[in-house]
Amino acid sequence: MNLQEVFYGAEDLISPGLSACPGCAGELTMRTVMKIMGKNTILGVPPGCMAGAGVVGWNRLSGAKVPITIPLLDNTASMLAGIRRYYQSQGRNDVRVVAFAGDGATADAGFQALSGAAERGENIIYICYDNEGYMNTGFQRSGTSSKGSNTSTTPVGAMRKGKAQHKKDLPLLLAMHNAAYVATVSPAYVQDFVRKIEKAKEVTCGLAYIHVLSPCPTGWWFDPKDTIKLARLAVQTNFFPLYEYEDGRFYQTVSVKQAKPVQEFVSRLGKFKHLDQEAIADLQQWTDRRANLLQRLCAESPA
Amino acid sequence: MTSTWISPTGDEGIYQIDTGKWRTFRPVINRDRCTNCKLCGYYCPVSSIKLSNQQQVHIDLSYCKGCAICATECPRGAIDMVREGEE
Ligand SMILES: Cc1ncc(C[n+]2csc(CCOP(=O)(O)OP(=O)(O)O)c2C)c(N)n1
Ligand code: SF4
Repeated sequence: MNLQEVFYGAEDLISPGLSACPGCAGELTMRTVMKIMGKNTILGVPPGCMAGAGVVGWNRLSGAKVPITIPLLDNTASMLAGIRRYYQSQGRNDVRVVAFAGDGATADAGFQALSGAAERGENIIYICYDNEGYMNTGFQRSGTSSKGSNTSTTPVGAMRKGKAQHKKDLPLLLAMHNAAYVATVSPAYVQDFVRKIEKAKEVTCGLAYIHVLSPCPTGWWFDPKDTIKLARLAVQTNFFPLYEYEDGRFYQTVSVKQAKPVQEFVSRLGKFKHLDQEAIADLQQWTDRRANLLQRLCAESPA
Repeated sequence: MTSTWISPTGDEGIYQIDTGKWRTFRPVINRDRCTNCKLCGYYCPVSSIKLSNQQQVHIDLSYCKGCAICATECPRGAIDMVREGEE
Protein backbone atom coordinates (compact mmCIF):
# COMPACT_ATOMS: atom_id res chain seq x y z
CA MET A 1 0.00 0.00 0.00
CA ASN A 2 1.26 3.49 -0.68
CA LEU A 3 0.92 6.14 1.99
CA GLN A 4 -2.20 7.67 0.51
CA GLU A 5 -3.92 4.29 0.40
CA VAL A 6 -3.07 3.65 4.05
CA PHE A 7 -3.89 7.04 5.51
CA TYR A 8 -6.71 8.21 3.25
CA GLY A 9 -8.02 5.08 1.56
CA ALA A 10 -8.08 2.30 4.15
CA GLU A 11 -10.99 1.97 6.54
CA ASP A 12 -10.39 3.05 10.12
CA LEU A 13 -11.15 -0.16 12.03
CA ILE A 14 -11.06 1.53 15.44
CA SER A 15 -13.90 3.48 17.06
CA PRO A 16 -13.67 7.14 15.97
CA GLY A 17 -14.07 8.46 19.51
CA LEU A 18 -11.55 7.04 21.99
CA SER A 19 -10.66 8.75 25.25
CA ALA A 20 -6.88 8.63 24.68
CA CYS A 21 -5.29 12.00 25.47
CA PRO A 22 -5.01 14.57 22.67
CA GLY A 23 -1.79 14.00 20.75
CA CYS A 24 -1.33 10.38 21.91
CA ALA A 25 1.07 8.51 19.63
CA GLY A 26 -0.37 5.20 20.84
CA GLU A 27 -3.76 6.01 19.35
CA LEU A 28 -2.17 7.10 16.07
CA THR A 29 -0.10 3.91 15.90
CA MET A 30 -3.01 1.62 16.69
CA ARG A 31 -5.21 3.14 13.99
CA THR A 32 -2.43 2.98 11.41
CA VAL A 33 -1.50 -0.61 12.24
CA MET A 34 -5.10 -1.71 11.86
CA LYS A 35 -5.53 0.13 8.56
CA ILE A 36 -2.67 -2.00 7.26
CA MET A 37 -3.71 -5.27 8.94
CA GLY A 38 -7.24 -5.04 7.59
CA LYS A 39 -10.51 -6.66 8.60
CA ASN A 40 -9.33 -10.25 8.75
CA THR A 41 -7.68 -9.66 12.10
CA ILE A 42 -8.30 -10.57 15.70
CA LEU A 43 -6.95 -7.96 18.05
CA GLY A 44 -5.80 -8.42 21.63
CA VAL A 45 -5.27 -5.31 23.74
CA PRO A 46 -4.31 -5.90 27.39
CA PRO A 47 -5.13 -3.46 30.22
CA GLY A 48 -3.42 -0.13 29.57
CA CYS A 49 -4.19 3.21 27.97
CA MET A 50 -5.59 1.88 24.72
CA ALA A 51 -7.88 -0.62 26.43
CA GLY A 52 -8.89 2.01 28.97
CA ALA A 53 -9.54 4.52 26.20
CA GLY A 54 -12.29 2.20 25.04
CA VAL A 55 -10.95 0.15 22.14
CA VAL A 56 -11.91 -3.12 23.85
CA GLY A 57 -15.42 -1.73 24.36
CA TRP A 58 -17.75 -1.76 27.32
CA ASN A 59 -20.54 -4.25 27.95
CA ARG A 60 -22.13 -5.06 24.58
CA LEU A 61 -20.47 -2.21 22.74
CA SER A 62 -17.18 -2.74 20.87
CA GLY A 63 -14.42 -0.21 20.36
CA ALA A 64 -13.23 -1.89 17.18
CA LYS A 65 -14.75 -3.20 13.98
CA VAL A 66 -12.86 -6.48 14.27
CA PRO A 67 -13.09 -9.12 17.00
CA ILE A 68 -11.19 -7.77 19.96
CA THR A 69 -10.33 -9.20 23.35
CA ILE A 70 -8.72 -7.91 26.51
CA PRO A 71 -6.24 -10.50 27.79
CA LEU A 72 -4.67 -10.14 31.22
CA LEU A 73 -1.72 -7.81 31.68
CA ASP A 74 0.44 -10.93 32.05
CA ASN A 75 -0.73 -13.36 29.38
CA THR A 76 -1.31 -11.47 26.14
CA ALA A 77 1.13 -13.46 24.01
CA SER A 78 0.08 -16.90 25.27
CA MET A 79 -3.61 -16.14 25.00
CA LEU A 80 -3.24 -14.90 21.43
CA ALA A 81 -1.01 -17.86 20.56
CA GLY A 82 -3.89 -20.11 21.62
CA ILE A 83 -6.37 -18.19 19.49
CA ARG A 84 -4.03 -18.40 16.51
CA ARG A 85 -3.54 -22.14 16.95
CA TYR A 86 -7.29 -22.67 17.08
CA TYR A 87 -7.76 -20.88 13.77
CA GLN A 88 -4.86 -22.82 12.25
CA SER A 89 -6.43 -26.08 13.38
CA GLN A 90 -9.59 -25.04 11.54
CA GLY A 91 -7.61 -24.41 8.38
CA ARG A 92 -8.03 -20.65 8.75
CA ASN A 93 -4.42 -19.54 8.35
CA ASP A 94 -5.72 -16.34 6.81
CA VAL A 95 -6.89 -14.99 10.18
CA ARG A 96 -4.18 -12.76 11.61
CA VAL A 97 -3.82 -12.45 15.37
CA VAL A 98 -2.38 -9.17 16.55
CA ALA A 99 -1.43 -7.90 20.00
CA PHE A 100 -1.29 -4.18 20.70
CA ALA A 101 0.23 -3.84 24.15
CA GLY A 102 1.92 -1.24 26.33
CA ASP A 103 5.51 -1.55 27.45
CA GLY A 104 4.50 -2.56 30.98
CA ALA A 105 2.38 -5.41 29.65
CA THR A 106 5.22 -6.40 27.35
CA ALA A 107 8.53 -5.84 29.12
CA ASP A 108 7.49 -6.59 32.68
CA ALA A 109 4.14 -8.21 33.47
CA GLY A 110 3.70 -10.15 30.23
CA PHE A 111 7.33 -10.85 29.43
CA GLN A 112 7.30 -14.52 30.38
CA ALA A 113 4.35 -15.16 28.07
CA LEU A 114 5.97 -13.20 25.24
CA SER A 115 9.35 -14.85 25.71
CA GLY A 116 7.75 -18.29 25.60
CA ALA A 117 5.67 -17.47 22.53
CA ALA A 118 8.72 -16.10 20.70
CA GLU A 119 10.83 -19.12 21.60
CA ARG A 120 8.11 -21.56 20.50
CA GLY A 121 7.69 -19.63 17.28
CA GLU A 122 3.99 -18.91 17.73
CA ASN A 123 2.67 -17.23 14.63
CA ILE A 124 1.32 -14.00 16.13
CA ILE A 125 2.09 -10.34 15.47
CA TYR A 126 3.00 -8.56 18.69
CA ILE A 127 3.15 -4.78 18.71
CA CYS A 128 4.41 -2.93 21.76
CA TYR A 129 3.73 0.79 22.09
CA ASP A 130 6.42 2.01 24.42
CA ASN A 131 5.36 5.11 26.31
CA GLU A 132 8.03 4.33 28.91
CA GLY A 133 5.75 3.56 31.82
CA TYR A 134 2.47 2.27 33.21
CA MET A 135 0.56 5.30 31.99
CA ASN A 136 -3.04 4.17 32.39
CA THR A 137 -2.68 3.69 36.14
CA GLY A 138 -0.89 6.96 36.79
CA PHE A 139 2.59 6.99 35.24
CA GLN A 140 4.44 4.41 37.29
CA ARG A 141 7.95 3.39 36.21
CA SER A 142 8.39 0.34 34.01
CA GLY A 143 11.42 -1.71 32.99
CA THR A 144 11.44 0.35 29.81
CA SER A 145 11.35 3.82 31.42
CA SER A 146 14.57 5.66 30.61
CA LYS A 147 17.05 6.37 33.36
CA GLY A 148 16.24 9.59 35.17
CA SER A 149 12.52 9.49 34.31
CA ASN A 150 10.39 11.32 36.84
CA THR A 151 7.51 8.89 37.41
CA SER A 152 5.00 8.48 40.23
CA THR A 153 7.04 5.61 41.68
CA THR A 154 10.42 7.24 41.03
CA PRO A 155 9.66 10.84 42.01
CA VAL A 156 12.24 13.57 42.10
CA GLY A 157 13.06 14.90 45.54
CA ALA A 158 15.85 15.28 48.05
CA MET A 159 16.58 11.54 48.10
CA ARG A 160 16.09 10.46 44.49
CA LYS A 161 16.44 11.90 41.04
CA GLY A 162 14.01 9.80 39.03
CA LYS A 163 14.48 6.20 37.86
CA ALA A 164 17.89 4.84 38.80
CA GLN A 165 18.26 2.21 36.07
CA HIS A 166 18.60 2.33 32.30
CA LYS A 167 15.93 1.13 29.90
CA LYS A 168 15.49 -2.57 29.19
CA ASP A 169 16.13 -3.14 25.49
CA LEU A 170 13.13 -5.13 24.37
CA PRO A 171 13.58 -5.33 20.58
CA LEU A 172 17.14 -6.61 21.03
CA LEU A 173 15.89 -9.17 23.54
CA LEU A 174 13.31 -10.40 21.06
CA ALA A 175 15.96 -10.62 18.34
CA MET A 176 17.99 -12.77 20.74
CA HIS A 177 14.96 -15.08 20.94
CA ASN A 178 15.44 -15.51 17.21
CA ALA A 179 11.92 -14.25 16.51
CA ALA A 180 10.96 -14.47 12.83
CA TYR A 181 10.84 -10.70 12.43
CA VAL A 182 11.75 -7.86 14.79
CA ALA A 183 11.60 -4.16 14.00
CA THR A 184 11.61 -0.80 15.72
CA VAL A 185 9.31 1.83 14.23
CA SER A 186 8.48 5.48 14.75
CA PRO A 187 5.23 7.25 13.85
CA ALA A 188 7.37 10.11 12.49
CA TYR A 189 8.95 7.92 9.79
CA VAL A 190 5.81 6.83 7.99
CA GLN A 191 7.33 5.13 4.97
CA ASP A 192 9.56 2.97 7.17
CA PHE A 193 6.62 2.38 9.51
CA VAL A 194 4.23 1.16 6.82
CA ARG A 195 6.83 -1.07 5.17
CA LYS A 196 7.67 -2.82 8.45
CA ILE A 197 4.04 -3.37 9.49
CA GLU A 198 3.35 -4.84 6.05
CA LYS A 199 6.34 -7.13 6.49
CA ALA A 200 5.13 -8.25 9.93
CA LYS A 201 1.71 -8.92 8.41
CA GLU A 202 3.22 -11.39 5.94
CA VAL A 203 5.13 -13.47 8.50
CA THR A 204 3.62 -16.96 8.30
CA CYS A 205 6.12 -18.85 10.39
CA GLY A 206 7.10 -17.63 13.82
CA LEU A 207 6.51 -14.48 15.82
CA ALA A 208 6.73 -10.92 14.49
CA TYR A 209 7.61 -8.28 17.05
CA ILE A 210 7.32 -4.53 16.48
CA HIS A 211 8.50 -1.96 19.02
CA VAL A 212 7.18 1.61 18.71
CA LEU A 213 8.53 4.50 20.73
CA SER A 214 5.27 6.24 21.56
CA PRO A 215 5.60 9.79 22.90
CA CYS A 216 3.04 10.39 25.65
CA PRO A 217 2.25 14.10 26.21
CA THR A 218 0.53 13.54 29.55
CA GLY A 219 3.11 11.24 31.10
CA TRP A 220 6.24 12.84 29.62
CA TRP A 221 4.96 16.38 30.15
CA PHE A 222 5.13 18.09 26.79
CA ASP A 223 2.71 19.96 24.55
CA PRO A 224 0.58 17.47 22.54
CA LYS A 225 1.36 19.32 19.31
CA ASP A 226 5.00 18.14 19.57
CA THR A 227 4.34 14.38 19.58
CA ILE A 228 5.67 13.75 16.07
CA LYS A 229 8.50 16.24 16.46
CA LEU A 230 9.69 14.32 19.53
CA ALA A 231 9.28 10.94 17.86
CA ARG A 232 11.50 12.28 15.07
CA LEU A 233 14.06 13.73 17.47
CA ALA A 234 14.33 10.41 19.28
CA VAL A 235 15.50 8.86 16.02
CA GLN A 236 17.73 11.77 15.02
CA THR A 237 19.55 11.62 18.35
CA ASN A 238 19.98 7.81 18.16
CA PHE A 239 17.93 7.61 21.33
CA PHE A 240 15.63 5.28 19.38
CA PRO A 241 17.38 3.79 16.34
CA LEU A 242 15.26 2.31 13.55
CA TYR A 243 16.31 -1.15 12.48
CA GLU A 244 15.02 -4.60 11.70
CA TYR A 245 16.09 -8.17 12.36
CA GLU A 246 15.38 -11.04 10.02
CA ASP A 247 16.96 -14.44 9.37
CA GLY A 248 19.67 -13.80 11.93
CA ARG A 249 20.64 -10.46 10.38
CA PHE A 250 20.32 -6.88 11.57
CA TYR A 251 19.64 -4.00 9.20
CA GLN A 252 19.64 -0.32 10.04
CA THR A 253 16.67 0.98 8.04
CA VAL A 254 17.00 4.71 8.73
CA SER A 255 20.58 5.81 8.94
CA VAL A 256 21.40 8.88 10.99
CA LYS A 257 24.43 10.53 9.44
CA GLN A 258 25.23 13.07 12.12
CA ALA A 259 23.38 12.22 15.31
CA LYS A 260 22.14 15.20 17.31
CA PRO A 261 23.05 15.34 21.01
CA VAL A 262 20.58 13.43 23.18
CA GLN A 263 20.15 16.61 25.18
CA GLU A 264 18.04 18.04 22.34
CA PHE A 265 15.47 15.31 22.90
CA VAL A 266 15.73 15.12 26.67
CA SER A 267 15.51 18.85 27.32
CA ARG A 268 12.07 19.02 25.71
CA LEU A 269 10.48 16.62 28.17
CA GLY A 270 9.15 17.59 31.58
CA LYS A 271 9.95 14.16 32.98
CA PHE A 272 13.66 14.92 32.46
CA LYS A 273 13.50 18.56 33.56
CA HIS A 274 15.56 17.92 36.71
CA LEU A 275 18.47 16.18 34.94
CA ASP A 276 21.86 17.81 35.43
CA GLN A 277 24.74 17.68 32.95
CA GLU A 278 26.13 14.52 34.53
CA ALA A 279 22.83 12.66 34.16
CA ILE A 280 22.47 13.81 30.55
CA ALA A 281 26.03 12.70 29.81
CA ASP A 282 25.11 9.31 31.25
CA LEU A 283 22.12 9.04 28.88
CA GLN A 284 24.36 10.14 26.02
CA GLN A 285 26.91 7.45 26.83
CA TRP A 286 24.19 4.80 27.01
CA THR A 287 22.81 5.97 23.67
CA ASP A 288 26.25 5.94 22.02
CA ARG A 289 26.99 2.50 23.36
CA ARG A 290 23.82 1.06 21.95
CA ALA A 291 24.26 2.81 18.60
CA ASN A 292 27.73 1.29 18.50
CA LEU A 293 26.46 -2.16 19.35
CA LEU A 294 23.81 -1.94 16.64
CA GLN A 295 26.35 -0.80 14.12
CA ARG A 296 28.51 -3.80 14.91
CA LEU A 297 25.52 -6.15 14.76
CA CYS A 298 24.56 -4.77 11.35
CA ALA A 299 28.14 -4.95 10.08
CA GLU A 300 28.81 -8.43 11.42
CA SER A 301 25.57 -10.00 10.32
CA PRO A 302 26.44 -12.71 7.80
CA ALA A 303 25.46 -11.50 4.35
CA MET B 1 -26.52 -7.81 15.25
CA THR B 2 -25.96 -5.70 12.18
CA SER B 3 -23.86 -7.13 9.38
CA THR B 4 -21.18 -4.43 9.70
CA TRP B 5 -19.88 -5.82 12.99
CA ILE B 6 -18.18 -9.15 13.04
CA SER B 7 -17.15 -8.62 16.64
CA PRO B 8 -19.08 -10.83 19.07
CA THR B 9 -19.17 -8.06 21.67
CA GLY B 10 -20.24 -5.35 19.25
CA ASP B 11 -23.81 -6.46 18.85
CA GLU B 12 -25.13 -3.18 20.20
CA GLY B 13 -22.76 -1.18 18.03
CA ILE B 14 -19.63 0.81 18.53
CA TYR B 15 -18.49 2.39 21.75
CA GLN B 16 -17.56 5.97 21.05
CA ILE B 17 -17.00 9.16 22.94
CA ASP B 18 -17.84 12.60 21.65
CA THR B 19 -14.21 13.75 21.64
CA GLY B 20 -15.05 16.66 19.33
CA LYS B 21 -16.35 18.37 22.47
CA TRP B 22 -12.87 18.33 24.08
CA ARG B 23 -11.42 20.91 21.74
CA THR B 24 -10.36 24.37 22.86
CA PHE B 25 -8.68 25.18 19.53
CA ARG B 26 -9.73 23.89 16.13
CA PRO B 27 -7.51 23.42 13.07
CA VAL B 28 -8.44 25.51 10.04
CA ILE B 29 -6.77 24.94 6.66
CA ASN B 30 -5.66 28.08 4.88
CA ARG B 31 -6.41 27.25 1.25
CA ASP B 32 -4.00 29.85 -0.08
CA ARG B 33 -1.03 28.12 1.52
CA CYS B 34 -2.10 24.46 1.39
CA THR B 35 -0.51 22.57 -1.52
CA ASN B 36 -2.62 19.47 -0.85
CA CYS B 37 0.51 17.41 -0.13
CA LYS B 38 -1.57 15.31 2.35
CA LEU B 39 1.20 15.03 4.95
CA CYS B 40 -1.06 16.17 7.80
CA GLY B 41 -3.20 13.05 7.52
CA TYR B 42 -0.20 10.78 8.20
CA TYR B 43 0.06 12.14 11.73
CA CYS B 44 -3.49 12.72 12.94
CA PRO B 45 -4.07 10.40 15.94
CA VAL B 46 -7.84 10.47 15.42
CA SER B 47 -7.89 9.96 11.62
CA SER B 48 -9.82 13.20 11.27
CA ILE B 49 -8.11 14.35 8.08
CA LYS B 50 -9.89 13.10 4.99
CA LEU B 51 -10.07 13.57 1.25
CA SER B 52 -13.01 15.25 -0.43
CA ASN B 53 -14.52 13.95 -3.67
CA GLN B 54 -12.18 16.38 -5.40
CA GLN B 55 -9.22 14.64 -3.65
CA GLN B 56 -8.57 17.66 -1.47
CA VAL B 57 -7.65 17.34 2.21
CA HIS B 58 -10.18 18.60 4.70
CA ILE B 59 -10.56 18.24 8.45
CA ASP B 60 -13.59 16.47 9.82
CA LEU B 61 -14.09 18.12 13.21
CA SER B 62 -16.55 15.52 14.59
CA TYR B 63 -13.93 13.76 16.73
CA CYS B 64 -10.92 16.11 16.41
CA LYS B 65 -9.43 16.72 19.87
CA GLY B 66 -7.52 19.82 18.78
CA CYS B 67 -4.05 18.42 19.52
CA ALA B 68 -2.49 20.66 16.81
CA ILE B 69 -0.11 18.00 15.49
CA CYS B 70 -1.37 18.74 11.96
CA ALA B 71 -0.63 22.46 12.37
CA THR B 72 2.85 21.66 13.71
CA GLU B 73 3.75 19.16 11.00
CA CYS B 74 2.41 21.04 7.95
CA PRO B 75 5.54 22.03 6.01
CA ARG B 76 3.79 25.14 4.64
CA GLY B 77 2.33 26.37 7.91
CA ALA B 78 -1.05 26.16 6.22
CA ILE B 79 -3.06 25.05 9.25
CA ASP B 80 -4.03 27.64 11.87
CA MET B 81 -5.32 26.79 15.31
CA VAL B 82 -8.33 28.99 16.05
CA ARG B 83 -9.87 29.27 19.52
CA GLU B 84 -13.32 27.68 19.61
CA GLY B 85 -16.03 30.29 19.60
CA GLU B 86 -13.92 32.69 17.54
CA GLU B 87 -13.97 33.10 13.80
C1 LIG C 1 -1.65 -8.27 36.92
C2 LIG C 1 -2.13 -6.88 36.85
N1 LIG C 1 -1.55 -5.92 37.62
C3 LIG C 1 -1.98 -4.65 37.57
C4 LIG C 1 -3.01 -4.29 36.74
C5 LIG C 1 -3.48 -2.86 36.72
N2 LIG C 1 -3.19 -2.18 35.47
C6 LIG C 1 -4.11 -1.94 34.53
S1 LIG C 1 -3.56 -1.08 33.23
C7 LIG C 1 -2.01 -1.00 33.92
C8 LIG C 1 -0.91 -0.25 33.21
C9 LIG C 1 -0.36 -0.97 32.04
O1 LIG C 1 0.76 -0.29 31.58
P1 LIG C 1 1.32 -0.52 30.12
O2 LIG C 1 1.22 -1.94 29.74
O3 LIG C 1 2.67 0.10 30.03
O4 LIG C 1 0.31 0.27 29.18
P2 LIG C 1 -0.01 1.84 29.23
O5 LIG C 1 -0.97 2.07 30.35
O6 LIG C 1 1.26 2.56 29.41
O7 LIG C 1 -0.64 2.11 27.91
C10 LIG C 1 -1.96 -1.65 35.15
C11 LIG C 1 -0.78 -1.71 36.02
C12 LIG C 1 -3.60 -5.30 35.95
N3 LIG C 1 -4.60 -5.03 35.11
N4 LIG C 1 -3.16 -6.57 36.04
S1 SF4 D 1 -1.42 8.78 29.16
FE1 SF4 D 1 -0.01 8.84 27.41
S2 SF4 D 1 -0.17 6.83 26.40
FE2 SF4 D 1 -1.93 7.08 27.80
S3 SF4 D 1 -3.59 7.88 26.48
FE3 SF4 D 1 -2.55 9.65 27.44
S4 SF4 D 1 -0.97 10.25 25.96
FE4 SF4 D 1 -1.64 8.18 25.38
